[in-house]
Amino acid sequence: MNNKLLAENIVKKVLKLGADEAEVYLENNREFELTVRNGDVETIKQATSKGLGLMVFKEKKLGFSYTSDFSDESIEEFAKRTVQLSLVADPKPWNGLPDFKKGKIKDFDLYDSSIAEIPNEKKIKIAKEVEKIALAYDKRITKSEGGYFRDSERETILVNSKGISYSSKRTGIYFGADVVAGEGSEMQSGGWSSSKRHFKDLDTIENVAKEAGKRAVEKLGAKPVPTQKAPVVFDRYAARAFWAGILFAMNGDSVYKKTTFLTEHLDKHIASELITIIDDPTIPRHVASLPFDGEGNITRKNVLIDKGILKMFIYDTITARKAGVKVNTIASRYGYRSPASARFLNVVVQNGNVDREKIVSGIKNGFYVKGLRGIGTDIPTGNYSCGSSGFWIKDGEIAFPVDGVTLGGNVLDMLKNIEVLANDIDLRGSLNSPSFKITEMAVGGKK
Amino acid sequence: MKKYLKPIPRRKFLKTGITGGAIIATLPVWKLFSFSAPPSDFHVNPAVNLSKETLEKLIKIALQHGGEFAEVYVEYSVGNQIFLEENKIYGAGRGVDMGVGIRVLHGEKTGYAYSDDLSFEKLKQTAEVASHIAAEKEVKEPVGLKSSKIPSYYLVKVSPDSIVPQDKAKLLWKANSIGREYDKKINQVNVSFSDTNKKIIIANSDGIWVEDVQTLSRFLVSINVIKGDKRSRGYAYKDGTLGYEHYDLKVAEEIAKDACRMAIAMLPAESAPAGEYPIVMAKGHCGTFFHEAIGHSLESDGIRKKTSCFWDKKGKEIASKISSLADDGTVLGARGSINVDDEGTPSQNTILIDKGKCVDFLNDRLNAKLMKAKLTGNGRRESYQHYPLPRMTNTYLLAGEDDPEDILKSVKKGIYVARIGGGNVNWVTGRFVFSVPEGYLIEDGKITKPLKGIQLMGSGPEVLKNIVMVGPDLEILGGGTCGKDGQGKPVSDGNPTLKVSKITIGGAKV
Repeated sequence: MNNKLLAENIVKKVLKLGADEAEVYLENNREFELTVRNGDVETIKQATSKGLGLMVFKEKKLGFSYTSDFSDESIEEFAKRTVQLSLVADPKPWNGLPDFKKGKIKDFDLYDSSIAEIPNEKKIKIAKEVEKIALAYDKRITKSEGGYFRDSERETILVNSKGISYSSKRTGIYFGADVVAGEGSEMQSGGWSSSKRHFKDLDTIENVAKEAGKRAVEKLGAKPVPTQKAPVVFDRYAARAFWAGILFAMNGDSVYKKTTFLTEHLDKHIASELITIIDDPTIPRHVASLPFDGEGNITRKNVLIDKGILKMFIYDTITARKAGVKVNTIASRYGYRSPASARFLNVVVQNGNVDREKIVSGIKNGFYVKGLRGIGTDIPTGNYSCGSSGFWIKDGEIAFPVDGVTLGGNVLDMLKNIEVLANDIDLRGSLNSPSFKITEMAVGGKK
Repeated sequence: MKKYLKPIPRRKFLKTGITGGAIIATLPVWKLFSFSAPPSDFHVNPAVNLSKETLEKLIKIALQHGGEFAEVYVEYSVGNQIFLEENKIYGAGRGVDMGVGIRVLHGEKTGYAYSDDLSFEKLKQTAEVASHIAAEKEVKEPVGLKSSKIPSYYLVKVSPDSIVPQDKAKLLWKANSIGREYDKKINQVNVSFSDTNKKIIIANSDGIWVEDVQTLSRFLVSINVIKGDKRSRGYAYKDGTLGYEHYDLKVAEEIAKDACRMAIAMLPAESAPAGEYPIVMAKGHCGTFFHEAIGHSLESDGIRKKTSCFWDKKGKEIASKISSLADDGTVLGARGSINVDDEGTPSQNTILIDKGKCVDFLNDRLNAKLMKAKLTGNGRRESYQHYPLPRMTNTYLLAGEDDPEDILKSVKKGIYVARIGGGNVNWVTGRFVFSVPEGYLIEDGKITKPLKGIQLMGSGPEVLKNIVMVGPDLEILGGGTCGKDGQGKPVSDGNPTLKVSKITIGGAKV
């Protein structure tokens, strides 16, 4: 049976079984994964898979189930059981499907039909090539964790009893390498990759390989620095982990429950005026773009922080209703195994206008953050404490690699002390930021 | 390459619902097992019970292009979850995963394919796809399948899948009322019960044919406290390879009280000092440290590729003389325990570090073969959609002889780590970072005040040498879901009271 028809039939079936509202989210996936190491193919994995998640509401009670078994008798049993599950929950007046604004979903050019045609030989060649160039980048690169190539295709279908019936197809393509540089007994790893929706949009093999090699070699000799206060530059890629913590703290349910430090900060200045953050899942061909979100809303741009002022929290429909706020919901899916929940889709911290090099050259003594271990933010308190690696800046220049230090502070202080924003954003993933400088932070290392 | 222990994402139903976070489970380390039958009240879709003939046919097809080894992995898994929050049962969920993964090994190469369609036609195609990793003229004849019986390390009489959610809800309500009564400052009580019930069948070209029913259950309470502008969180849980008979209202009460105690204790916490300090780790709750900071670097993939910081350390001193480390899949009822690994190898207890000396690594089949090492029962995979990797089970530091009181008294100024949270490690450098959700300042040998925002940083090889005191009081209470190369797997861990002479603390105070 056609998958969309199957989804529509399940919705009809559970309504007949007594549900008041229902939603089916269905995925159909194809994946190919290839790894090479030291010039030889190590693994090839390929498969297709499918699954669907069913959410039902009966008398404002929620039930949820998923299955990958689409046989007629299993679906029958599955539908019945899900309606029964909803009876266990307590009714909540805010439960139910979103109120949809009718409209047509847009085509963001997320599907590249040429990917399915790429012969395995070509994929193997790319994976071997990227590893080879990364290994040759510097003679101190001695070991390989491998080169890899992956591609995937996903069809997503969302059907519900409020008349929404959408489907969308997207492709993904991805390659890169991880290598290890060594000197004496020291080893440092470095990796890089390129991930796109379209084959043609991928970065060159050479660029990816050299970046992987560079990232391993540049860490050799890294050491902690004495504990001190110093200006800190967050590199554009490292910055993503910092923003992730702030975005978690903007979760509407945490705000409702007062478990985030941002609870009382709506419409207030929480950051330097340089900071504007937009959730924009509508950028054509971008890896994090989507025509409809996890709840079936047509995707849209939302300004989260405008010139330092916190403009909105991130709510899904049920939480927004519970909290009594009128807001554009932003909900994503982790797959068919769970219902949609509030989460940003594609965050873009707007670019500044200063060259990164200029930021560094203006610092006498400071820390350039290249790696963060975790998000660092304690959501309830806004305390920031994060393991970090990078470089020490001395007299305006990168002086030596640093590792084994922690950055400590308070997120609100950090946000307000962003004094320079670079112009170097690279839209690589679902969270994108330029580099920036924070006036001063605690850098913890050796006594 | 990054390994991590995930925190618990809110409202990630089912599949991930049972995963995550650090753990509580009060289990003694008993060395007992039985040949007990799996719970009869877990009903498996009969479609997964592939016949011996079918399995043999699939293995033969998988070897048709000359592969050295072929394996069929069949899985049927049911997950259940029920949640309480804001004084209401939020919802109940259920999910079913079913499929077959077929793997062919040839030299250092792996061919892998899987299918969620169990018709013979589809499985045949799947075996064919995997078979193409080899291209030899000579085709190997597989050994006929011989089923084997395995000892059981699970404590499961009643399958949690057989319990209706209405009954599980009673435990949730009990914990909720305990939490609401405990202290007025408590503003959120979240409770959940989740379980996964999995049947696996493994058959390979060496003639191995085993099946296992793996049950995991978890009861989790999470508490949030607000007073003025101060906030804190506490959590506690019981989990393991445990049947539903291990949960009752008394357990619910104990777990809820422990979560409340932690949340209230941490409310007045002050910012942790930054810099280098000695630390004392509380027994039982800090084993995640050894899992992350040391264990991952002893998994044989990184050893074979020579990318682990311990790759050339077998037979050498890598830790202080009082440190011994084990990975033990046979701890009765523990979260990481398995009767067989996901390649059909019986579980075992492997000593990795013996009195400071590195003596062994953790192997899966591929790495064991390539390194000419013996199998250790550590070939594990998340599901039929994944090929096995060398993974830990229950990892713990062995008991020593120092008096826990003396350990604390020996610290003039340092940090007491009551409970370790999530962390991650770069296995090439051995560098790690951990959060400490419950930690205190030690002054003149006494625990004085609670601290927030503690991060432990350092490298595994360094810390091992700095373990200067170890108590006799080993407990295995920790764990969660370990992530590696995108695959999540349940693990547990443990430790006795111990002292590390110095470690870098990340904090806001300079």
